[in-house]
Amino acid sequence: MIASAICFVLMLALQLVTPFWWWIMAVPLVYGMWKSRSAWEGVRTGMFSAGALWLVMSLYQWLFGGQQIAERMSAMLGASQGWLMIFITTLLAALSAGVAGSSGYGLMEVWKSK
Amino acid sequence: MNRLKLLLLAAVTLALFYALHFKHGDLPPLGKLFNPFAGFWQNNAASDEILTDQQLPELQETVEIVWDDRRVPHVFAKNARDLYFAQGYLTARDRLWQMEFQTHAAAGRLAEIVGARALEHDRYRRRIGMVYAAENALKAMQVEEESRLVVEAYTEGVNAWMRGLHAKDLPLEYKILDYEPEPWTPIKCALLLKQMAWTLSGYSADRSMSLTRSALGEELMQRLYPQYPPGQDPIIPTATPWSFQPSVARKPGQEFHSTLSGATINMERASNEGSNNWAVAGSKTANGYPLLCNDPHLALTLPSIWYEMQLVAPEVNVYGVTLPGTPGVIIGFNQQIAWGVTNAGSDVLDWFEIKFKDENQAEYFYDGAWRSTQQRIEEIKVRDGATARDTVTYTHHGPVAYRKHEKPFNDDTPSGAAMRWVAHEASREMQTFLGLNRARNYEEFVAAISFFDCPAQNFVFADTAGDIAIWHNGKFPLRWHEQGRYINDGRDPAYDWQGWIPRAQVPHVKNPERGFVSSANQNATDLNYPYYLGWDYAAFERGARINEYLAAKSGFTPQDMMNLQNDVVSLFAQKTLPRLLELLPPQHLNAEQTKLYNALKAWNYEYWSNLTAPMIFNTWWRELFELIWSDDMKIGENELKYPRRDVTMNLILSEPQSPFYDLKNTAAKEALSDLTLQSFQSMHRKLTEAHGAFGSSWNWEKARSTDIAHLARMPGLGRMRLPTAGNSDNVNAITRTHGPSWRMIVSLGPEIKAWGIYPGGQSGNPGSRFFDNAVDDWVAGKYYELFYLKMASDIDARIVGKTLLRGGR
Repeated sequence: MIASAICFVLMLALQLVTPFWWWIMAVPLVYGMWKSRSAWEGVRTGMFSAGALWLVMSLYQWLFGGQQIAERMSAMLGASQGWLMIFITTLLAALSAGVAGSSGYGLMEVWKSK
Repeated sequence: MNRLKLLLLAAVTLALFYALHFKHGDLPPLGKLFNPFAGFWQNNAASDEILTDQQLPELQETVEIVWDDRRVPHVFAKNARDLYFAQGYLTARDRLWQMEFQTHAAAGRLAEIVGARALEHDRYRRRIGMVYAAENALKAMQVEEESRLVVEAYTEGVNAWMRGLHAKDLPLEYKILDYEPEPWTPIKCALLLKQMAWTLSGYSADRSMSLTRSALGEELMQRLYPQYPPGQDPIIPTATPWSFQPSVARKPGQEFHSTLSGATINMERASNEGSNNWAVAGSKTANGYPLLCNDPHLALTLPSIWYEMQLVAPEVNVYGVTLPGTPGVIIGFNQQIAWGVTNAGSDVLDWFEIKFKDENQAEYFYDGAWRSTQQRIEEIKVRDGATARDTVTYTHHGPVAYRKHEKPFNDDTPSGAAMRWVAHEASREMQTFLGLNRARNYEEFVAAISFFDCPAQNFVFADTAGDIAIWHNGKFPLRWHEQGRYINDGRDPAYDWQGWIPRAQVPHVKNPERGFVSSANQNATDLNYPYYLGWDYAAFERGARINEYLAAKSGFTPQDMMNLQNDVVSLFAQKTLPRLLELLPPQHLNAEQTKLYNALKAWNYEYWSNLTAPMIFNTWWRELFELIWSDDMKIGENELKYPRRDVTMNLILSEPQSPFYDLKNTAAKEALSDLTLQSFQSMHRKLTEAHGAFGSSWNWEKARSTDIAHLARMPGLGRMRLPTAGNSDNVNAITRTHGPSWRMIVSLGPEIKAWGIYPGGQSGNPGSRFFDNAVDDWVAGKYYELFYLKMASDIDARIVGKTLLRGGR
């Protein structure tokens, strides 16, 4: 839980000051390499931290002026409801960060086994 | 975990990054796009907030922006330079992607954004000399001190806005298409004007007309493709005397017949979908001052074609619509005058068949000798691909768009021919708008439009002094009768353009006796006018309906003008339908077809959205039209140019026994009544297939409807299936994709009042509530009162905020 919170704060700070989306992959990857005790922990930490970050941020956007753009994007992707964009945003973050987290752990394992 | 699994996981991670970070075909980079810190979520309604005060070192003095409740900026500057700087700055704030994308399209640079699939489009733009035309215009613009300063100020304004942009602030389309804006340059302003010139004057039927003449012969050409079609009510009232001594163009002794071949298809001119403008003299209005109205019809898109603004500086206080990317107001009014435009439709683009010495196209035969061509190398950058190089050959006529055996991008472009287009000449159209924006009377209006060369426009005018006028204005080649209707002989100097029609002699009229002036893309004059201007103008209906309405009474109010702009009466249906119903034998119709027959019988010829008759009539006419001409106008794979709708109408009304009614592909000899029945039945079949059994699904608003697509055709960002009334031959000329891009009514007088609306909104951001907020009101035919401020300090409930753009550091 603490690991997820740390990753969450770190990613939040990096995303606020830079335009790069891939911090949600880079941070869990580094955490996975550095602290994870298992692949599953890497996955879990990445998924929770990045998923929560993008969920909170997209929800905030949705509530404060983002409904129309979400509806238009939803129509563009052939979905029927604007709120689905929050779901997709969260899913995208959780999935990519989870994969990166487990990959980070795995890379460290390979390194250690040399 | 074993090593293989780990490597696999790493590969998956990399693949996921690759998939989400880059654009794949039409699929945007999803990681960037969905990033809630910098992706599409940031294109929310925050842009609806009033712009905060800004410090801009380029400004000499403070510029005050007053925002009204429709987010129209009213810009108050203390000098002209600051005014146009602010115009560029604010336009970029609301429409940056649109203005940049349009210049990319005009310059043939779309492949840089979307990749190889735009290569042929880009090649075509280069081959027809769009950049060449813009370069010539820019040179002329820079010679004139005023236009040079204005364009530079506007450019600086656009760039000042871009300077402050972060990735998250970029318009949505940049994020979807995954690219970034480049610095604005003066040539982009020129490119936008040339893009408009191409839209409005780039049409050419010379190729299909040449082929049609070879097949039908001269006599039929005169009958089926007349210069002055039946029913015309020209812009300049008939029998207007022309007091000048015209220049004469010498016609060569023998008519040239082009040998260029290749497949052609029948194409109808887009401008037939129309624009209207008129001005009514004070003698015919309720308040004793002129009324001026304009509704230019264009392909409708979102973001909207127009951006509404008021521009105020010491010598100017003008309100109207601007073209994002170009300084000044294009259609509008100031305290003394109002003006508007429709497309003139006169022929300003001709093709010349070229004889080259060899495949290199280094020399061409002209005036009995071989002449050198000029070759212009075009480099077309392609996203994710190799840069394409193209060599465009220029003769003294102009560029050769396609080599003899190349397939053109556009079917109306002849291969192996050079194009001469007035828009290639150095011209100063921007000077016209700057002049109009501050003109105070008729003389200054005439002086301003004298700079406007291409695309030729019908400029309508009215002022507070009570004058009204209309000019069919542009740079028109001096040609013999029908020169340029067919492909010319590029070898013979006798076929060259022989100068220009003096500007004072172009068709115009001031304060005519009838008390109004009008245009609807129809013929400018009757056949008494001594010069040849072209032949393929809009059919009679809209022009005749406007003139009929304006002639019918006096005491006109702005409300009458709104009614006329939204008028959906079809004079074409009024003339044609009774005859078609007469020819239709009711005993041959089944029960459902009888219902259709009765719906047409009961119809008042108005294209209201809740009626079925418009759909029945239009489909029936289309079927009948096709039946009459498809057998006569096809030679092998080639379609000849079909005669126009008004000519066909005249044939039906006045030639009951015409040989064109007989279907060549049947043994029987058909009469017109056979064709009406056959087409009626096929109409019934087709509408049933498309919309089910006869009922409300056949209503005009459902079966026709109108789409306002996104400029780059991005799904979800347009407004589709709008329940519109009107038809291309109505004054309210709305089609599936075209329509009144701006409706404006100006009531002149000591206190100028005006109303307007366009189908869209001020913002180019799809996440803004001002992106398409006016669309539904536009569909309903409503107007907004245009809020014309005298001073920035004026107080009014419609003012929602102010912004200061401060100069200095």
